[in-house]
Amino acid sequence: MKHLLIIEDEILIQQSLKKLFERRGFKVDVSASGKLAIQMILSYNFDRIICDLMLQDISGFDVIEESKKKYSSNEISQKFVIMTAYNSPQVLSRANSYQCRLLNKPFDNLEEAMRLMTE
Amino acid sequence: MENRSNPINQTTTKLIAVHIDPAIFGDFSDTFLDPSIFKLVSEKEAQFCLLKKKSRLWAQFSDGKFCDYPYYLKNISRLIEGFKSESIQRHYPIEAFQSFIKGTEVIEKKIFSNASMSPGENVKDLWDEIIKKVNFISSESHSLKGLVEKILEIPFLQNFQSSMIVLHLKGQTKAELMGTMWRSEKVHTLIEIKDFNTFFNSIRKSKTKSFSTDDCGKVNLPFNGSFLAKEVISKKYSLITIVSRHDFLNYSHEEIELYETCIYLLQPHFERLIDQEFSDKKISELRICLKDFPLPLRIIDNQSGSVFINDLYRNELQDQDIFFNKKIKGSFSLDLYDSDELRHYAFDLFHFQRISLLGELLNTLRHELSNPLFGLKLSSQIFNTLDINPDDKSFMQEIERNVDRCQSIIENFSNLYQIQPETKPILLKKMIDESLVLAKSEIREVTKKITYDDECEKIILNVPLIFVVQILFNLIVNAAQAMRGQPERATLGISVSIHDSNVLIDVRDNGPGIPGDKSINLFKPFFTTKLQGTGLGLVLSRNLTIKMGGNLEYLPNKNEKGAQFRLTLPIT
Repeated sequence: MKHLLIIEDEILIQQSLKKLFERRGFKVDVSASGKLAIQMILSYNFDRIICDLMLQDISGFDVIEESKKKYSSNEISQKFVIMTAYNSPQVLSRANSYQCRLLNKPFDNLEEAMRLMTE
Repeated sequence: MENRSNPINQTTTKLIAVHIDPAIFGDFSDTFLDPSIFKLVSEKEAQFCLLKKKSRLWAQFSDGKFCDYPYYLKNISRLIEGFKSESIQRHYPIEAFQSFIKGTEVIEKKIFSNASMSPGENVKDLWDEIIKKVNFISSESHSLKGLVEKILEIPFLQNFQSSMIVLHLKGQTKAELMGTMWRSEKVHTLIEIKDFNTFFNSIRKSKTKSFSTDDCGKVNLPFNGSFLAKEVISKKYSLITIVSRHDFLNYSHEEIELYETCIYLLQPHFERLIDQEFSDKKISELRICLKDFPLPLRIIDNQSGSVFINDLYRNELQDQDIFFNKKIKGSFSLDLYDSDELRHYAFDLFHFQRISLLGELLNTLRHELSNPLFGLKLSSQIFNTLDINPDDKSFMQEIERNVDRCQSIIENFSNLYQIQPETKPILLKKMIDESLVLAKSEIREVTKKITYDDECEKIILNVPLIFVVQILFNLIVNAAQAMRGQPERATLGISVSIHDSNVLIDVRDNGPGIPGDKSINLFKPFFTTKLQGTGLGLVLSRNLTIKMGGNLEYLPNKNEKGAQFRLTLPIT
């Protein structure tokens, strides 16, 4: 696995994660905008997509929905990692419906979070 | 007016029914309608137009004035448009006309060809009878059900067997079917809103308005056969009216037209009766609410002098006990009394309001701050792993620690203001520390003397953290505010001791203290010595203490200067 996409509009988080993954040898692309991210997902083949839910333009769920044009639901459950600071029951149940990994922000343990995002 | 009723023009006639509101135009109504533009038809002719053309237009003359049925009005603007170009403006400026429109209602302009204007005598007679009957039954009906039953008295419906309505009040989850069958049997069932909507739409879309019980989808009408139905929509409800002969024959055009027209005519009466039943229901529910209201309550009609009191009202309650007084609609005024019940319920409410408001605020704050804080933390962590000089490294670590502190402060705050407080064993010392952190800004330059008797530091209480923290926070802030600006060094003392199976937490200050005459009012609601106080802090605090089986009291400080409060809590 080589190529990651990080969709996160908080620039400090986005850039920090980018650096952390690059140091571990990943190729990392980033987007702060959900709409741009959709373009990127449709044009490139990422091995993993780490997606924040609360973006400025659209929600992370919208990004996943749009990705269905390209990926099967099985692929979506493999490729996407959802990051969120709002773990309300509604958000959780929707995230679960995609069966992808879910990470709460802030991470309790950075190492563990990195492992979960890339394994 | 008779001589104004010109014969119908041979080509086409604009028939505009206008209700002249005498309150606005007085006797000008004659001048207002220029006979060179408006052809005034006779009442019967107008009625016949209605009957024959299935038109919604309905005009009635009385003393030369048109009257309309307000629910037919449509397109007022179009009418104004029409008037603009007409010579009517010579007499009345458009503003006057617009204000006239506001005071009244105008019916859609419609063109009638001359051909349909020759009513046969039979139809006119039948129509007369129908009008009379409709007017009669609507004035005789005092309930919705009554009106539905009486529909069968309308002349052409006399061989019909059942009349019912399906009523859906907006916002309700069920629709109600009510009416009469075989002219005597009462019918009343509830219909799921989903089924009602399907039924309603099929009736609305139908051109013939003639149906069979097989067409009803999931709605089970209590009879078999064909029926006539008509839908009525208003802001507050949707209504389907149904009549049936209980046979399988089709209905004639005349029957369908007559029925539709009757329902048009009855619509305002449906409206009135539904409104009335609605408000009757509301009033009776309101009465029950007021009767069972958990506080002594009195409503006085200052005009008639009549008084409503609820079950808890007692005669010994005095005017000085009135805690809340409000003028309500009209001449009514409402009094709530300061009483045990009030303390019991109202302060729960105040407490709840405070907590939920703060909780909401803190939740938003937490969400908004979490993300940037997390970003700061991640980036400082990255710097820490770089090969930088030890000075810079400790600098970065300090940033990280501060971020953690911010995060934990905001989390503690929002955990504190949960609406459903958690009761779990917590170290008393932790609660006191928490309260001091919360009050930090208030006690910045105050000397703190916190003392624990033997073993008191280890006391664990099984109480809601938020209750104790709220009470202590309140006492600490009160003390700090009392000492503000005094020349001598402000000192806050908190001492914890055990007495029997209770823990006593004393909060002392060396401020001006509370004068003897004021100390009796300390725990009364809305009593405050502060300029901007609400007078609720101590009341709420005491209320919370009592909930925990403890007590909160003021201890006069005889020897020393200042005030002292004692919070007593049982050790379980």
